[in-house]
Amino acid sequence: MAELALKVTGLSKSYGDKVVLDNLSFTASMNDFSVICGKPGNGKSVLVRTIMGLEPVDAGQIIVRGQDVAKASAGDRNIGYVPQSFALYPHYSVQENIEYPLVLSKASDATKKESVERVAELLRIKDLLGKKPEQLSGGQKQRVAIARGLAKATDVYVLDDPLVGLDFKLRERLIDDLRKTQEELKVSFVYMTSDPLEALSLAKTVMILAHGKVVQQDSLDVVYDSPSSIASMNSLGFPEANILPAELSGTTVKTILGSIKVNTDASSTRVVAGIRPEGFAVGKDANSFNCKVSLMENLGSEFAVYFTIGDTDLVTVVSRTDTQALSKLQAGSVDISVKPEAVVLFDANSGKRIGQGVSHV
Amino acid sequence: MAETIFKPKRKSGPIKFATLGAWGISILFFLPVAWIISTAFKPKASIVVSPPVFIFKPTLNNITEALSFDNTLSYFTHSIIYSFGSVIIAILVAYLAAYSFSRYKPAGTDFLMFLLLSTRFVPAAAFVVPYFQLFNLLKLKDSYIGLIAFYAMFSIPFSVWILKGFLDGISQRFDETGLVYGASRWHIMFKVILPQVKPGLVASFVFNILFVWNEFLFNFQLGGAKTFGIPVGLFTGSTKGGAIDWAYVASIGTLYVLPLVVVIYAFQKYLLVGLTFGTVRGEV
Repeated sequence: MAELALKVTGLSKSYGDKVVLDNLSFTASMNDFSVICGKPGNGKSVLVRTIMGLEPVDAGQIIVRGQDVAKASAGDRNIGYVPQSFALYPHYSVQENIEYPLVLSKASDATKKESVERVAELLRIKDLLGKKPEQLSGGQKQRVAIARGLAKATDVYVLDDPLVGLDFKLRERLIDDLRKTQEELKVSFVYMTSDPLEALSLAKTVMILAHGKVVQQDSLDVVYDSPSSIASMNSLGFPEANILPAELSGTTVKTILGSIKVNTDASSTRVVAGIRPEGFAVGKDANSFNCKVSLMENLGSEFAVYFTIGDTDLVTVVSRTDTQALSKLQAGSVDISVKPEAVVLFDANSGKRIGQGVSHV
Repeated sequence: MAETIFKPKRKSGPIKFATLGAWGISILFFLPVAWIISTAFKPKASIVVSPPVFIFKPTLNNITEALSFDNTLSYFTHSIIYSFGSVIIAILVAYLAAYSFSRYKPAGTDFLMFLLLSTRFVPAAAFVVPYFQLFNLLKLKDSYIGLIAFYAMFSIPFSVWILKGFLDGISQRFDETGLVYGASRWHIMFKVILPQVKPGLVASFVFNILFVWNEFLFNFQLGGAKTFGIPVGLFTGSTKGGAIDWAYVASIGTLYVLPLVVVIYAFQKYLLVGLTFGTVRGEV
């Protein structure tokens, strides 16, 4: 197994009666890009703040390089940090901002020079070094903030949703930069985001944060293909997965999309079915339903198609090159069937995954 | 029809009138100051004459004479020492207090802030006598320590208010980023945050120096020969020999406003921001 860079176990934090982090645990390996993905309000910022030492924990361990730092002061943890807001010091030049963590650790001039050059090269901001933060655009500021976070050589870096609020194109570019940076440095990046697209394009390992816990941690493909809970399925993926009420009897599950044979040994009858947008097929066949298309959203290479069966709203995606399907959709009324293997079954009470579709009945 | 480019019509009439009005009013306010300054340079014979003289041959006689009096220079030294001393101390203390209020938010911060300012609600005349007795008791009368402490105490509350406004406008992310990179609290307070509240420091400095520099009553009551400042000097010197010595009043008055004019002019760009109490702030 890969060497651990960061290990968090049993982390708990409450404010009064409000439990924000609930016995949360996860691990981040060396030379891995770990993305902690959770919807807003699930404790993401508090988790960052406790890891960084800006907020005391109620209980739990934060083990960095084998040492529990949960009680250590923020400055002693030696974790690289890129804050959510840029927080560039306006009275310092870009160079001084990037140098700042090194100045504090009393690095030699040679080290400072070498580090600034390294990160400036990495993030392509060499020509900005002499400027003041107020002279920079949003994307440049973000690059400088990332550079400052990386300037001090360490092996664990926490990046707190650093791309939030940037425009689409810039995000694409920075996502690319970040991935390359991590690969080059071969260190551990722990990246927080609420954007499923960012998680999908950055992560090697994904942790799903929901209700103050990490509910699933695994490689990106595993989490995407076999979400362990409704929260996992909901947090990762865009457009968001469809969640439908369902009825389970034996190994047959019945939804408004018909009956499907499932692979399950659960006895619970209160279940829900999750279907990712790509789990549908457009076209008439024995299992299709006639649906009304309510909205087609152009995502570039594909369309998000919102449709209704009865009074249930669902979403699917159709490739731009699939002209046959698109022309049918444009008619407003279309036959759509669900791919049985795309149906994931969850227990309605616990939200845990209990089975997966096999075939139509 | 030929292409016409739309040009907004400049309403020159009313705007000119408003500018003229603004200038007129400003000059009206400046007249007494101008009168004092011009009087300082008038030959003695043309100071108190009717009708007033506007054109004269300027002379430095009044000023050199006023400066030649025994106490004049010492009034200036005293004023400078206790004014600048007390205000600088006040701002330092106020900054520490404002930082604590802004960042640590002790329980009841709003009420504490109100309490702090309440010392300024009571009219000064109400505690002249108690202070006089206190200063006598503590042997602080006619001492710099006493005066500086008194004026600092008077300047702190307002400075805390101004500075807290500025500090609240500066994101705590700056502090936290510093902490994570290993900075001490002192380093963050003085190297990271302090430079960002410069306009607030200047605003509190100017407001307080105006107050202390002009303060008469307490300097008169709590000070003495070793610590009397210019206002007291002006007052006592102006009636020397029974009649009012206008040449002296004008000369000292002119020299008296000079330091303030220089200070305010030098800090003008900060002062304009300071007067908005830190409400105009950009993104971090």
